[in-house]
Amino acid sequence: MPDRIHTETKEAAGPDRSTTDRRADRAAIAGSIDELLPALIAKLGATGLAELEVRQDGLRVRLRRPAEGTVSRDRRSSDRPDRTDRGERAARGIAGSASPAYAVGLSPVGPGRDGHEVRDGRESRETGARDDNRAVATSPAVGIFQPRSSARAGTRVRAGDRIGTVDMLGVPQDVVAPNDGVVGASLVEPGDAVEYGQGLVVIEFASAVTAATPASGSPAPATPSSTAADR
Amino acid sequence: MFRKILIANRGEIALRILRACRVLGVESVVTYSEADRESLPVQLADEAICIGPADAKRSYLSASAVISAALVTGCDAIHPGYGFLSEDEGFADVVAAHGLTFIGPSAAVLERFGSKAGTRELFSAHGLPTIPGSQGMLRDELHALGEAERIGYPVLIKPSAGGGGKGMRMVRTARELESALRVCRSEAKAAFGDDSLYLEKWLDENRHVEIQVAVDRYGHGVHLGERDCSVQRRHQKIIEEAPTPALSDAARLELAELAARASVAAGYENVGTLEFLVDSAGAFYFIEINCRIQVEHPVTEMLTGIDIVALQIRIAAGEPLGFSQPDVVMRGHAIEFRINAEDPAHDFRPGAGLVERYHAPGGPGVRMDSHLFNGYDVPPFYDSLLGKLIVWGPDRATAIARSRVALDELVVDGVATNVAIHQAMLLNETFLEGRMTTNLLDRVGSAAFLAAAARG
Repeated sequence: MPDRIHTETKEAAGPDRSTTDRRADRAAIAGSIDELLPALIAKLGATGLAELEVRQDGLRVRLRRPAEGTVSRDRRSSDRPDRTDRGERAARGIAGSASPAYAVGLSPVGPGRDGHEVRDGRESRETGARDDNRAVATSPAVGIFQPRSSARAGTRVRAGDRIGTVDMLGVPQDVVAPNDGVVGASLVEPGDAVEYGQGLVVIEFASAVTAATPASGSPAPATPSSTAADR
Repeated sequence: MFRKILIANRGEIALRILRACRVLGVESVVTYSEADRESLPVQLADEAICIGPADAKRSYLSASAVISAALVTGCDAIHPGYGFLSEDEGFADVVAAHGLTFIGPSAAVLERFGSKAGTRELFSAHGLPTIPGSQGMLRDELHALGEAERIGYPVLIKPSAGGGGKGMRMVRTARELESALRVCRSEAKAAFGDDSLYLEKWLDENRHVEIQVAVDRYGHGVHLGERDCSVQRRHQKIIEEAPTPALSDAARLELAELAARASVAAGYENVGTLEFLVDSAGAFYFIEINCRIQVEHPVTEMLTGIDIVALQIRIAAGEPLGFSQPDVVMRGHAIEFRINAEDPAHDFRPGAGLVERYHAPGGPGVRMDSHLFNGYDVPPFYDSLLGKLIVWGPDRATAIARSRVALDELVVDGVATNVAIHQAMLLNETFLEGRMTTNLLDRVGSAAFLAAAARG
């Protein structure tokens, strides 16, 4: 397993807070992580502890080593959403009850929240598509993929931006960025046949890349999660 | 023959079609919704394609998603199975418009048999007795009373549009008819936006008998005998068998030959099923035709040895039947039990969830068509059919004896099933004597029926 940092923040105050508040949160979280994370990861690696938690300035950051085989496909598990990689990731968003899961410094990714989930009126599909520091825009339909010429690799996009279309019997269906970020690698070629839910274009999380840098070469994969504390 | 067939369905019928494609040496693509990603047809498929989310309206019922999937995977035909898009003549039309073949009757044939009233008139003109009913729609109360008198009570008031029991009432007297007419009109208006009603003769103790026919493009048609589908729960078939115990051999043959002749004469094409009601005197009345493969087709396959799904595909590909009526030889007796995820302890509430253990019964004459496997998670989004147990024997008594053993052997742990109702049925005197009618279960209620069987 490569060194991984799974960064995830949870907004404690629930869904009613203003965009300004959320931006402030994200800035604070991103700042703290830049400062704290390298030290914490080093500490966790050195001690062999399973979990570390630090509270500072109204934020709580918890680092946890992932248990072995957390993303294995276990058919016998009775918890339906956890039974596949896709399902498991979706469940993280849903299982947070009132607290939607956030990627560090970026817009919300929880199903039914803002971002593309609401804008294109679909249920959660960002699932399967999410990685530590990148997300993948998925196909809204079965058909032929065409990227948008203005959404070349390296272009900054915001969640919900149209980055291409999938043509279903002559009707173009929008492919939208699941998150704010930078257009990365294309997983399919223009004109390729794609199925519903298929990963099409990688969207890199700029700040997550920064946060991940110190992790390279760290002795153990860690799963930090930072949580905005009660206000 | 087709190059590649898109299987636009799920569950046991997707698996059944996949098997038929393989036997014919035709490539196939299984479509699936996100909820069926780990289903057995997808696991066994040569190729599978996700066409939408769990919601059937955006996957299995989406004509554009299904056709787009066929086009991008290079298929030249679509098999719709049963349910979903299988009886949608608009879908068949669009499929043809995209240069693909709909495996079933052509859009033109589907259109001819699209309206129930029109189909009855058509078949009536070709010699099939239809159930006595009013001449056209009921104009007013006086017209209704006159027509009911002519048909003879009891009569069934039926709305011209739609089904599902809305706007439908059985009445036994003129007085009941007068009051029910108003109710039915307003119900029909509310449900379908159309309050036109007609009357049909009501048969108290009726049996449901259907004839399987197959007609090729060149007008050669055969029947593959009948199936008795009288064991129903709230108008849903749960046990089907052939031959029917309701009719003598001569009467069965007469009905089947009549149906085959009428199908050819009326211009039907491909496999189809003509449904009849049979009254206690043995008189039969044509009700409707199903222009698709039916859930209970294996009953006929067991008797004739004919692969009906493969036949359906061959006919759609333009092949001639390749056999004629004398080649169709029916042997023995077969019974099919629909295994549904329904809990008899909770009013047959449909269930879902993890199948912890699944074991299919075996032995002579035993066939299990099912998409279950150990660890399969039954999704809650679709119909409750988990599979079909089909049991053949040289005679009805042997088929019943083998059925008891097979039902006892069947294991589906983790999801409640309706197996208990089948076991109870195999202890019921009316069923054992072959006298079952469509109201057998509902007359006493399924719960009382189960309790009676438990008391022995």
